[in-house]
Amino acid sequence: MAHVEAPELPPDPTAAVDAAAVELPPGIVAQSLGEYVRGYIGRIRGGQSGVLPVVVGLVAIMVVFEVISPNHVFLSAGNLVNLFQQSAVFMVLAMAEIFVLLLGEIDLSAGYVGACGAVIGVQLVQPVTTNWPWWAAIAAALAFCAVAGALQGTIITRLGIPSFVVTLAGFLIFNGVMLILLLLGPFSGYPNLGANSSNVQVLYNLMAGNIDPTVSWIGMAVIVAGLGAVLWLGDSRRRRSGLVAPPASLTLIKIAAIAAAGITVVGISNINRANIGTLAGVPWVVPIVLAVLGVWTVLLGNTQFGRYIYAIGGNPEAARRAGINVALIRTLAFALCSTTAGVGGLLYASYIGGMSNNVQGGQLVLFAVAAAVIGGTSLFGGRGKAMHGVLGGLVIGGIYNGMYLQGLDVQRIFIVTGLVLLAAVTIDALSRRASAP
Amino acid sequence: MKVPGYVAVLVLSALILTSCGGGSGVTLGKKIALLVPDSTNALKIRSYFEANVTQVCSNCEVLYSAAKTDAEQQTQATTAISGGASVIVLDPLHGDAAAAIVTQAKAAHIPVISYERLVLNTPDLSYYVSFDRESAGGLLAGSLITAMGSKTNPTIVEIDGDPSDTNTKAFKQSALTVLDGKVKFGAQFDTPGATAANAKAEMLSALANLNFKVDGVLAASDGLAGAAIATMKGKVRPWPPVEGQGADLAAIQRIVTGDQHSTLYMSTKAEAEAAAQLAYDLAFGVTVPASLSGGKTVNNGTADIPSVLLMPVVVTKVNIESTVVQDGFWSADEICTSQIASACAAAGIA
Repeated sequence: MAHVEAPELPPDPTAAVDAAAVELPPGIVAQSLGEYVRGYIGRIRGGQSGVLPVVVGLVAIMVVFEVISPNHVFLSAGNLVNLFQQSAVFMVLAMAEIFVLLLGEIDLSAGYVGACGAVIGVQLVQPVTTNWPWWAAIAAALAFCAVAGALQGTIITRLGIPSFVVTLAGFLIFNGVMLILLLLGPFSGYPNLGANSSNVQVLYNLMAGNIDPTVSWIGMAVIVAGLGAVLWLGDSRRRRSGLVAPPASLTLIKIAAIAAAGITVVGISNINRANIGTLAGVPWVVPIVLAVLGVWTVLLGNTQFGRYIYAIGGNPEAARRAGINVALIRTLAFALCSTTAGVGGLLYASYIGGMSNNVQGGQLVLFAVAAAVIGGTSLFGGRGKAMHGVLGGLVIGGIYNGMYLQGLDVQRIFIVTGLVLLAAVTIDALSRRASAP
Repeated sequence: MKVPGYVAVLVLSALILTSCGGGSGVTLGKKIALLVPDSTNALKIRSYFEANVTQVCSNCEVLYSAAKTDAEQQTQATTAISGGASVIVLDPLHGDAAAAIVTQAKAAHIPVISYERLVLNTPDLSYYVSFDRESAGGLLAGSLITAMGSKTNPTIVEIDGDPSDTNTKAFKQSALTVLDGKVKFGAQFDTPGATAANAKAEMLSALANLNFKVDGVLAASDGLAGAAIATMKGKVRPWPPVEGQGADLAAIQRIVTGDQHSTLYMSTKAEAEAAAQLAYDLAFGVTVPASLSGGKTVNNGTADIPSVLLMPVVVTKVNIESTVVQDGFWSADEICTSQIASACAAAGIA
């Protein structure tokens, strides 16, 4: 990405920073907070808007729905917790798709592969049949998904068939497999998580179970302290070693923001959500989604594997010539996508308290891709982060939730979601054009 | 800067908006959630239900949602809970897959009425509103006996639904209590998949065995009755009475022309009204009159659920007008197409 020289402009002391900032994250070039902010603005001007559009969109959704929702319940504690639970499946499936979207590929089978994993998990814990411990059932479910993804990835990379076609076949195959798995056992096609056994309840509580309010505070404090320590120690070590590092003030602001986010989430969740009696605490699904987000963020941002993914997504031929085992990395990406979809599937099963045959795997996948793109991931490969899946999932969940609160039918929700997606891909396309040489 | 910006705006907007969105203490009408599967019937249920709720409580609000999948219904239910519903009327897509909704409503202290379909395996249901389907077979069998009149030991053909359907067994047992000893069973079939094609094949084999002499046909649904009628057309004389179930439009039209004798009508209006009344009582803490349920219960696998079971109505030519037309279930215009206009006029439907 070369830059056109503009000699007619007057000399500007910050021009060098601005120019570099378009290509590099501001955290790498900036030496002070002011430079960082200027660099960030420069990146937005240069088309690298990152998560800004989706954050603006999310705030707009919140404001609009809060104003128009009956009795202004949209931002009530109960509804915000609901909103997160309703969005969780979209978020996790979007994080799954991001692995393959980064390569410029797509996985249409993720919805049904995840659903297969979910059925396996739900079936294996049934006390009247296999009665596996919950952790073994989850492990088996995720293992199935990983193998399914690796198989599809192998066909795509080794035989050179487009992922669209291979995963379309997978979409059909795993839909069928799911229906077969559903019919196993004496449950007439509806294995559920309602059994009165603490082992089964673990799966049921993935989505609906709440962490005790006091434990929520303590857990949040531990996580924030841990993250803060890692961030601070990492950055200060880089500064001491003379490596490029964000300014100390920025590191502090980041830590403060994480703490504020943690306090907000736990604070909201610990407000009593019941009309009568008590219903409070952070739902388990929050740390689960955050764990997926954290692990995949580190994997993509701080490991060799992550750098290879971005390299292949940016330019596969260049990556191959640089000596990257492109086929292996791409296969792994499909396996990771399917495994993450398995997590999403288990959350889906927990959400509806069992599994049934009317899972719309196609719609789930399309919403997952939509969430990733709305969040800021490029459909053209090379650009995207796990965080985009969470933000985009919240947008889709927010639209659903807000429109249901209005008593609006599903057809209108589809239209609004479609328009939001259109806006997101337009931003993606325009920013590509703006950053093109 | 990304994380701080996002969080700051979020926290700020949350603070501003929750502070101005607090309850103002005005006494408002209650909200009643109505969650149904997305079907052609859903809008009828909604309009009957809303009309009845606004009649007893003008400032009450019905939170209506229709779902295509269990997950969608789950989302609609949790949204209704946080949206402030005082009671949920739930017609589950699958009785087996909706217990989670009831559990969550229970956690928020919101009563749930299972509507039309029973939510299985949960002790937390408040009520069940549906039809007394177990008496359907007996009602239709009685109608058939009446239609066949004084014939001694008439020969009938019984076409039942899919053998794996739990309703099929109940229908057969109920019909047998009325028919036993009064008729000769020329043939009796379970119809795999309850498809018209299978029913036609069954009827054809029965006609061959009985030498085209049939005094009456009892079918478990209007679809099956229609298949039997199509098979017998032009082959059986005199024309026997045929009974079906469901008040399908085609069946009502066949009753007008005389091809079918009667059908069973389970009034969506009556059912929605019963549910609306019950929902109102639960929302406002009114004691539910004992006459509503009559002490009946239905077991859902975990508990005996107090149940309001409405009796289906036998619809023959004489009461089409006073039942399905008056309820708005089918309009006279829908029933009386140009082909059957004269038969309609003769039956007094307008």
